[in-house]
Amino acid sequence: MVTSPLMCLRYCLTESNNLLLLILLQNLKERSSAEFDRMLRMGRTRLKIAYIWYLVCFFAVYCDADDANEINIWPMPVSVSFGSGNLHLSNNFELITEGSKFADASGILKEAFSRTIDIVRSSHVVELDTSKIKPSLVLKGIHVVISSPSDELQYGIDESYKLNIPAQGNPIYARIEAKTVYGALHGLQTFSQICSYSLSSRGILVHQVPWTIADQPRFSYRGLLIDTARHYQPLRVIKKIIDAMAYTKLNVLHWHIVDTQSFPLEIPSYPKLWDGSFTISERYTVADAAEIVSYAKKRGINVLAEIDVPGHAESWGFGYPSLRPSENCTGPLDVSNDFTFKLIDGILSDFSKIFKFKFVHLGGDEVDTSCWILTPHVKSWLQKQGMGDSDAYQYFVLRVQKLALSHGYEVINWEETFNEIGSKLNPQTVVHNWLAGGVAEKIVKAGLRCIVSNQDKWYLDHDIRWQDFYSNEPLENITNHQLHSRVLGGEVCMWGELIDAADIEQMVWPRAAAAAERMWTSYDKLAKDPSDVRSRLSHFRCLLNQRGVAAGPLEGLGNTRPFGPGSCYTK
Amino acid sequence: MNSPSSFNPNSLLLAALLLLSQLLLTTCRNLGLHQLNYDGADDSPTYIWPLPSQYTSGNQTLTVNPNLTLFTSGNGGGSRIVSEAFDRYKRIIFEHASSKLPSSGIDYDLDKLTILVHSDDEELQLGVDESYNLLVAARDAHSVIGEVTIEANSVYGALHGLETLSQLCSFDYGTKTVKLYNAPWYIQDKPRFEYRGLLLDTSRHYLPIEIMKQVIESMSYAKLNVLHWHIIDEQSFPLEVPSFPKLWKGAYTKWERYTIDDASEIVDFAKKRGINVMAEVDVPGHAESWGTGYPDLWPSSSCREPLDVSKNFTFDLISGILSDMKKIFPFGLFHLGGDEVNTDCWTSTPHVQQWLQDHNMTAKDAYKYFVLRAQEIAISLNWTPVNWEETFNSFPTSLNPKTVVHNWLGAGVCPKAVAKGFRCIYSNQGFWYLDHLDVPWELVYYAEPLEYITDASQQKLVLGGEVCMWGETADASDVQQTIWPRAAAAAERLWSAQESRSSSTTVLERLEYFRCLLTRRGVPAAPVRNFYARSPPIGPGSCYRQ
Repeated sequence: MVTSPLMCLRYCLTESNNLLLLILLQNLKERSSAEFDRMLRMGRTRLKIAYIWYLVCFFAVYCDADDANEINIWPMPVSVSFGSGNLHLSNNFELITEGSKFADASGILKEAFSRTIDIVRSSHVVELDTSKIKPSLVLKGIHVVISSPSDELQYGIDESYKLNIPAQGNPIYARIEAKTVYGALHGLQTFSQICSYSLSSRGILVHQVPWTIADQPRFSYRGLLIDTARHYQPLRVIKKIIDAMAYTKLNVLHWHIVDTQSFPLEIPSYPKLWDGSFTISERYTVADAAEIVSYAKKRGINVLAEIDVPGHAESWGFGYPSLRPSENCTGPLDVSNDFTFKLIDGILSDFSKIFKFKFVHLGGDEVDTSCWILTPHVKSWLQKQGMGDSDAYQYFVLRVQKLALSHGYEVINWEETFNEIGSKLNPQTVVHNWLAGGVAEKIVKAGLRCIVSNQDKWYLDHDIRWQDFYSNEPLENITNHQLHSRVLGGEVCMWGELIDAADIEQMVWPRAAAAAERMWTSYDKLAKDPSDVRSRLSHFRCLLNQRGVAAGPLEGLGNTRPFGPGSCYTK
Repeated sequence: MNSPSSFNPNSLLLAALLLLSQLLLTTCRNLGLHQLNYDGADDSPTYIWPLPSQYTSGNQTLTVNPNLTLFTSGNGGGSRIVSEAFDRYKRIIFEHASSKLPSSGIDYDLDKLTILVHSDDEELQLGVDESYNLLVAARDAHSVIGEVTIEANSVYGALHGLETLSQLCSFDYGTKTVKLYNAPWYIQDKPRFEYRGLLLDTSRHYLPIEIMKQVIESMSYAKLNVLHWHIIDEQSFPLEVPSFPKLWKGAYTKWERYTIDDASEIVDFAKKRGINVMAEVDVPGHAESWGTGYPDLWPSSSCREPLDVSKNFTFDLISGILSDMKKIFPFGLFHLGGDEVNTDCWTSTPHVQQWLQDHNMTAKDAYKYFVLRAQEIAISLNWTPVNWEETFNSFPTSLNPKTVVHNWLGAGVCPKAVAKGFRCIYSNQGFWYLDHLDVPWELVYYAEPLEYITDASQQKLVLGGEVCMWGETADASDVQQTIWPRAAAAAERLWSAQESRSSSTTVLERLEYFRCLLTRRGVPAAPVRNFYARSPPIGPGSCYRQ
């Protein structure tokens, strides 16, 4: 067992791994120049000592995550303490729930537990027979105590958990305490990252025991948008995205189902709508959508459905051409036609049976109203109503908001609605920022709630480095602390124009994970300089690969290929 | 169905149907494009990839019971390989939630699948009988209930039959049931080449086991049957070798390693999908990483490649590696590399130079000596050696006659190798190197392993071909996009009889369909039409048109 930095250094040197030097050089390059200035000021001898000490500390951190002082948990928990012991994960690692008020009728906890053990064991074949090891060195199971009997997943539920892994006991059990099963699920995710395969024991090691972790998210809304209108994403691909979201403790899948290009979802009230799908096999049935929602729920993830009106809806007209202003001027949806709102009401009514999240997203962005002005029957309707085109836009957005509210939803709209309609928006509206940074401040000052997705930092289809994803602060410039609670959180957006089933994972990960830590981890524990978390994020990216997720290299802008041979941990 | 004597009553029935279907073969190609929005069903292509060697179909649409039950017969029918594959394919076929539960009101046309496997020999080797017959009977006056039967001589043929069956089925979004279109089907299928390979390189980038398994699973969808595992190269040595435990110090990190059990797990996982694993130890070049654990293998600490030809230790170590590998890799072929050997370090390092003089060898002689000595080690372990073509190009007459020559440099070496009686594997880098991103699918598809070989007996010496996924710029994040769909183009070339392949106008449509099938199964296969491989779609659109 390596316990001191010096021993660690020796261990590292005997392992003589080129990687260490590589990382060292990389790291030195990235150290802030201030640190070097400080070292230079210390004079020659002291500099040497400082440098050697720096090397020692550095090796201590990098040489062996099983033994050293590095925490490889992503996102970083709020409060962590750990030791230097190791336990073997029992071959018959068990879940016990004595004292828990959660009955687990639908198997959410049981299934999450077995998934956790499966992914922990997926990196290598376990050869170790833990029945032959002293019980005092074996972690026999995990005791999960949940105080709420409910399995309802909703915005704002308690996602906190406490995880304790003792170093001693007879037998030794880890313990998770949580208010809700979804908090316990986060605890299991954290637990999975504390376990890793050990080549020396040929089994799974629970390292750095004893652990005491108390954790909870900073924001209640931590989203990822996927777009199934520009390219259809098969069910399996969506499920893989959800799996990896759970690994990073994201909790809202914003499903941008429909757009101008295609309408893949079945709407029983208006069965011709999915005539707007690309092909008859690039579709989701109601049962498929319900399956996605239930799959996500079992992983603690809400599904936010979106219909983006009145723009971004041209595909609706394939099945119902009267939704279009005219045959050759096909969008936005015809504001003058009552059928338009009847149909939206039907969609929302069908939605409310599938999508149980309390929010629905009504879009409202990028509306070009020229077709309304150019089409005679719409134009005369506008005149009759005494409306200009921007009044009609407002009328449309507000009327649809009312429909959504009547189905029991709270509404989310893209920020144009706020910019153009402002105070007339329903006061329950959550404004979804995207155009630029700094908008959240205006929104919360106006008394509305906000989700942050400024495109210069959190659009995954843009050329943006992971460091910028990490540094983007949802509460930027909001100095009045009482307004902070109006920022529900943030969301990274994977628009689908240039991505499909082949490259979506690589475009989403690891950059979405960088943002996930920003949204989960308490502000004071976030790195001020992203390079401080580089090795931990790199470790997490390699962990995603190990779990079969095609997360890309850290270097680059999201669609980067490895530029040459090398270790995953240096990229 | 090679020997009529093995026919039991079941197969006699099939034989009769076969006779009937042969008559229909040319007249019955009206395959509806049920899956897509296309019209003009009559001239639409057959969406089976790779195309079976012989088939007929009709125009009935049959519904498939989500509780499809498996009945097995024959000596090999009870194999777990068969029942596990049946479960896997059931999950694929009935993927949509609404198709999983039988609706009480529906009478399904197809309730059962019979798999008949004649042989209980589960040994997987080059040349194992991979043929199968697949019969989907019509619903008619004689049988109210439709039937599906797969007949094969080996379990591995049966696996191919299941794959084909899964491609006949698709989910009908209208009725929310799985349907099998264009029944009745009679398919009689076998591979054109016995060796249909894909190379994976885990030295330039480590590929986690989960990723390796995803690739293997996807290979079975395209009926590829050899995973050529280029485990080690100059950059890293990820595999555990118990006889020389310091070798895997050459791994990038301790996390980027395969234990013996990991490797066995991969071999076992592949076997259950009918895929052989051929291991490679590329000597004497491409081996610098070996010296991290055993610096004696380097000519000197500043001149590290090729392996030191002058030391017996080098060969002791190779012998140790191969003995250890023999316990993991049961495939009859073993790849010894031998490519791109730059012998400068031998001539510039004093003690090696001295040894060359003592043995009256030029550097070229020493290269030959090294390759032949490594071949002897492999042969003593009952392996058939495979070597990259430079070995044949440099000393064709000295190579062990059992050698399989592995082409890569360009066209032309297979004709020469088979003319000299060697067997050959085709991997012309102009077409079948997947890391060459500027080779679009057509070039991959139309590359021909038997090019310039006209003599039938020489043609038999071409075992097949292999697409190579060198790993310099491919890691866990992009390896599958780089492999698919182009590897599928080669897979059809290797599987389908030349005469049965569809006309070029429908190949693209069929390949796009298969690419979308891969993505539905969770395989990140890239758009077909882009000139550069693995590049993202150029804009929004249907998977079937990109």
